[in-house]
Order: sequence, then structure tokens, then C-alpha cells
Amino acid sequence: MKVTLALKPAARSFIPIEAESIVPKNFLDGTDLPVWRGNRELRLDEVFSVSVEGDADRTEDVEVVLSGETFRLKRVGEYMDGGRVTILGDIGMHCGNFMSGGTIEVRGNADGWLGREMAGGTIVCRGDAADYCAAGYRGGRKGMTGGTVEVFGRAGDFLAENIAGGTVIVHGDAGDMPGAEMRGGTLVVHGDCRRPGANMKGGSCYVYGTAQGMLPTFRKIGTVQHEGHTLIRFAGDIANRGKGNLFVKAYEYLD
Amino acid sequence: MIVKDAVCPFCGCLCDDIEVEVEDDRVVAVTNACELGTTKFMGEKRMKSPILRDGDRWKDITYDEAVQYAADMLLSAERPLLYGWSGTHGEAQCVGVHMAELVRGVIDNTSSVCHGPSILAIQEVGHPGCTLGVVKNRADLVIYWGSNPIDAHPRHLSRYTRYAEGFFLENAFRDRKVIVVDVRKTETASIADEFVRIKPGGDYAVLSALRAIVQGKTDTIPRTVAGVAREQLIRVANLCKSAKFGAVYFGLGLTMTRGKYKNIRNAIELVSELSRHTKFTISAMRGHYNVYGSNEVNTWMTGYPFGIDYSRGIAFYNPGETTAVDILARKECDAALIVGSDPAAHFPRKCLEHLADIPVVQLDPYPNATTAFCNVQIPVAVTGIDAEGTAYRMDGVPIRTRKVLSTDYPSDREVLSRMYALMREALER
Repeated sequence: MKVTLALKPAARSFIPIEAESIVPKNFLDGTDLPVWRGNRELRLDEVFSVSVEGDADRTEDVEVVLSGETFRLKRVGEYMDGGRVTILGDIGMHCGNFMSGGTIEVRGNADGWLGREMAGGTIVCRGDAADYCAAGYRGGRKGMTGGTVEVFGRAGDFLAENIAGGTVIVHGDAGDMPGAEMRGGTLVVHGDCRRPGANMKGGSCYVYGTAQGMLPTFRKIGTVQHEGHTLIRFAGDIANRGKGNLFVKAYEYLD
Repeated sequence: MIVKDAVCPFCGCLCDDIEVEVEDDRVVAVTNACELGTTKFMGEKRMKSPILRDGDRWKDITYDEAVQYAADMLLSAERPLLYGWSGTHGEAQCVGVHMAELVRGVIDNTSSVCHGPSILAIQEVGHPGCTLGVVKNRADLVIYWGSNPIDAHPRHLSRYTRYAEGFFLENAFRDRKVIVVDVRKTETASIADEFVRIKPGGDYAVLSALRAIVQGKTDTIPRTVAGVAREQLIRVANLCKSAKFGAVYFGLGLTMTRGKYKNIRNAIELVSELSRHTKFTISAMRGHYNVYGSNEVNTWMTGYPFGIDYSRGIAFYNPGETTAVDILARKECDAALIVGSDPAAHFPRKCLEHLADIPVVQLDPYPNATTAFCNVQIPVAVTGIDAEGTAYRMDGVPIRTRKVLSTDYPSDREVLSRMYALMREALER
């Protein structure tokens, strides 16, 4: 089954739309779903032009395609556990929150908290991801615990903050403090970033570019070969328990 | 008439030993207050009555008309923003939270642009703090990190630290050491025993290095960290460890620079580490006299300290999304009520562009930068001068501010309560 949702142009176009109901599983029972624009509850078809092709009995067979000014949509794919969501343009905050299965593909850019506290499944972002990609919630101790997030563009600050499991791969540069408070899982940044692994106490963080503003509390161990890259291995963050692994191609201290 | 023990409604120190001389319903002299507090008490040129924008002119309107305008604006909005709250008393803040819930809006206070990051850090690792009186009487080491009290909290030094007597200190001025950490040599740095000058953006690295040094892991630390020599870091760590009672006070130099709440988290974790060796505490140098109160009121009423979004009927909190600067910059609100702050003087241009596009009502005694963005401004009494109410000092101690003179202006609480009653009536109809 393929559900196509085209966002209608709206008068007050800047108010965000919270659409946590857009999850493949929900479309097995039809398209009578609520979404919220600010403090107003609206029907799905008041906000989107909805069309459905074919039918399905299993979540895995449902694909949802979103188009239009989708950067205003928040919480798409929240608690998603199977099926597929494709966003043809940019997507708003909290896409794939608490996701445990299925696939989300963002063809454009993703706003903050992409895949927040994700436990399983796959998110692919063809453009850039904003701050707190694959991170946790405020004050929480565990962020992402499983699954995969792959970003082909750049990522913002606090990428994979509090990550405790799963894999995050960013093909471009990352911002400040990727892998802050990391306690498990794997983070790979193909480009440059600032201050990776701040206060980490577990897990592995790989930076194939330069780690700028490298923190002084990482102990150099030696060089290793990893996927065709020669990387310098550090243990840290020794200000914390120091049991994390940080691998960087090059580094600069703020000295 | 002289009013004794008046409370100064300017900064988070909330000094409660002010003497104010009043003649003919005007403040004519102020004793004990600093220059900032004196200026606030002596403030003049208040707005006379509520004003409504009428094309490119202002029209005087009545309080009833102004309150009705605000109520209609908030009721018709899909995502109203209720911002400010730090420059008013707790009782008005309570009404504000009720209003936000009633109209399903977003309520945020000025801590989202000052010590919000401190609260995010406290939510991660807790707050080993204490009252100012404890520091005054016990602390033999005080660290000012990214704060400049001589300019911003002038009486903090004389009432609680550098120049204060201490019950458990024989000769407080001699026995109490002061360390200042900043990116430039401030006036406070020039009265410090030790000044640590950090390269801008290097606070996190220096805090991490200090944590490692306190744990005895000195070998890993490079020769300089963000412009600070390793020897100085070791000296500072030893000063801290050998103190009987240490207190860290941090300001916006730590909360609003690169890393933001991670800086504060690191500072708190340094304090926790030091508390394995001696007694150490850490507190924020809060700005507005009742910004701490706005966090308290919001927390006890909603569960969250600032940036609370009621649009779905329940409280949702996510700084970076539900905070005023982010909402305005992303054009995510369609009306704004401003109480007790002046966002136009402090917010980025992009935010003000949206503020100019939406209806805005402000409660403020004086014309200010935000007036230029208002559709309606309602003058109110000033808490601590012609209105009384509860405020929270920077260390969380509630102090009731006093009225030193009487005027006809209604207080924030009175105006907001009338607004709330009108809206409630309209919704029940």
C-alpha cells in the first residue's frame, strides 16, 4: 500500500504541524487521523491531499510518501515500528522519535532531533541534519539505544549526544561536540568536527577528518588501521571514567 | 518619609537592606543600594495610560480596552507566545502560567537567554548549591567564572564574598581567597588573588583539565589548555583542594559561550570531584531580580522551569524548540504577550522581524525597545516600588518585596487576572 500525503499550502504557513499520527501502522485502519496545527486539532485531509494506492494487511507493506512544505511537520514517524516513510523534501523536528523498526528516508534536510531516543530501524537523510541528530532528551541519561542513522550531508551540534547503542554515520562534517556523554554504540564522522567525545565513558567514535578544539583529557594510545584509514587512537574522556575509544585522523588542541 | 529595609528589585542579589526616602509620592533618595538599584528606584518618565497603535500614531485607551484587546488576541491565536516574567512578582507569574494553559500557548521566561543552560545542566547532573549566607560565613575560597560582579551584581562582593565579614572566618578579607576566570581582565579580575585568563570558547577544555588534575591524572594534560599554562591549572586545583569551603559563582560567560550547558555540566562535575576532597558548592549569578522565581513558579505549576508548550493541552518542554528565540526565529507563533522584560533590546534581528509581523501586547511601566513592536502597551506598577509581591533571590530564597510608595497603576497580577477572567468567560460561553 502506498499512501501519498501532499501538504496543502496554508494561510498561517509558519505554524508548525505536529503529526505523530503519520506512522505506517496507522494507515492499516484508514486515513482518518488527527494532526495538530498549534493548538488546533485538524483532520489529516484538512492539511494534506491524501491518496491511497493498493491495500495492505501488514505494517511492513505500507509506504507513506510526504511532499510539499514538509519542513513544518514535526514528529513524523514517532514510535514507528515498521514500514517505510519517504519525505521528498525537508522534514521538521523530531522525525523518527523513539523509532524501533522500519525505514525513514529524508530526501532533503532534517531539522533538530532526527531519530531522538531511537531504539531500532533505519533513518537515511540525503541532505544535512540539524542539531541533536540521534541524540537524547533533555536531562535523559540514554539517547539512542539501537538502529542506524546515516546522514549524507553535514550534521549540526551535539550529534549523537548520550548515545548508548546503535550506529550513526555522517558523511560530511559534524558540528560541535559530537558524541558528547557517549556511553555505547558507534559514531562515525567522515569529515571534520569540533570537540568529539566530550565526557564520553564508553562506545567508539571515529573521525576521518580533523578533530578541532580536541579536548585535553584524552590519552593517546597509538595508531590503528580502520576501514582503510590510519587513525590515532585515544582513550577517554579521562575527566570521566575514561573507558571510551576515540579515533581521529588528525587533531588540533585549543592551546 | 523614610522606608527602611526595602528590597531592591534590580538584580538577583535582591538586597533587602535598602533605605528609600519618599516625598510627595516620589522617591527622592536611596541609601545602601548600588548605582543600578538606585537608578531603578529613582526611575521616572513612566507611561501614563495604555496605548494602542493606530496607523503610525499611538492612541491612549483605557485599561478595560487594553485588557480586552489582549484577551481577544490570545484567544484567536493558534500558537501564542507568553514571554518575559522575570521582571515581575511570583503572584503575576502564577496567573501567567494559568493563562498559558487556558489559551494553549507557549510560556517562556528570560532564563532561556541567560541561565537556561545552567538549568539543563542541573537536570543532567544535579545542583550542589547553598545559600549566600553560607558562603558569606564559611567560604574561604570563591571562584567567579565568566561573571563580573563589580559591573553586574555590585554588592555581591561586599555582602557575601570579598569584602564581607564571615562568622567562621577570623579575618575574612585576609583569609578568603578569590579566583577569577574570564576571557579578559575585568574589574573583578583586578581584585582577585588569582586570575585565570582563558581563550574564548576554551572554558570546557579548562574545566575538563581541572577535573583530570583533581583526580591526579596530570600527565595527560598538554602544556597549555586554551591559553592557560598547566602549572597554573595545577596551582588552581591545589588552591581548591586545600580550601576548607569553596564556592563557584558562574555567569553568562560560561552559560552563553560555546558548549553552553555542557560548560555548566562540566563545572558542576568539577565541583562534585572537589567535594571528594573538601566542601565545594556552585551557584549561578542570576540576572533579573525574580528570574529565579519564574523558574520556581513554572516548575511547581508545570513541572518544567521555562519554555513550556501547552498547545496540545499538556506541558511539553524542549529548550531549542519551545523557547522564545527559537519560536520567533522560526516564525512558529502568531501572537505575543510580553511581561516584565524587553526582548527587542536583546533578541536577534531575525526574531524581531517576526515580532514585527504578529500582534504584540506588552505589560511594562516604561516605554522600551519592545514598545516599537507593540500593538498595545499597558503600563503597570513596578514590583518593589509601587507594587508588592514575592521574588526569589539568586540562591532560591524567597523574599517579599515591599511597596515604598502608592500610585494608581495596577500591578501585573491585577492586569493579568482581569485578562484571565475575560478569557475564561469567553471560553465558557
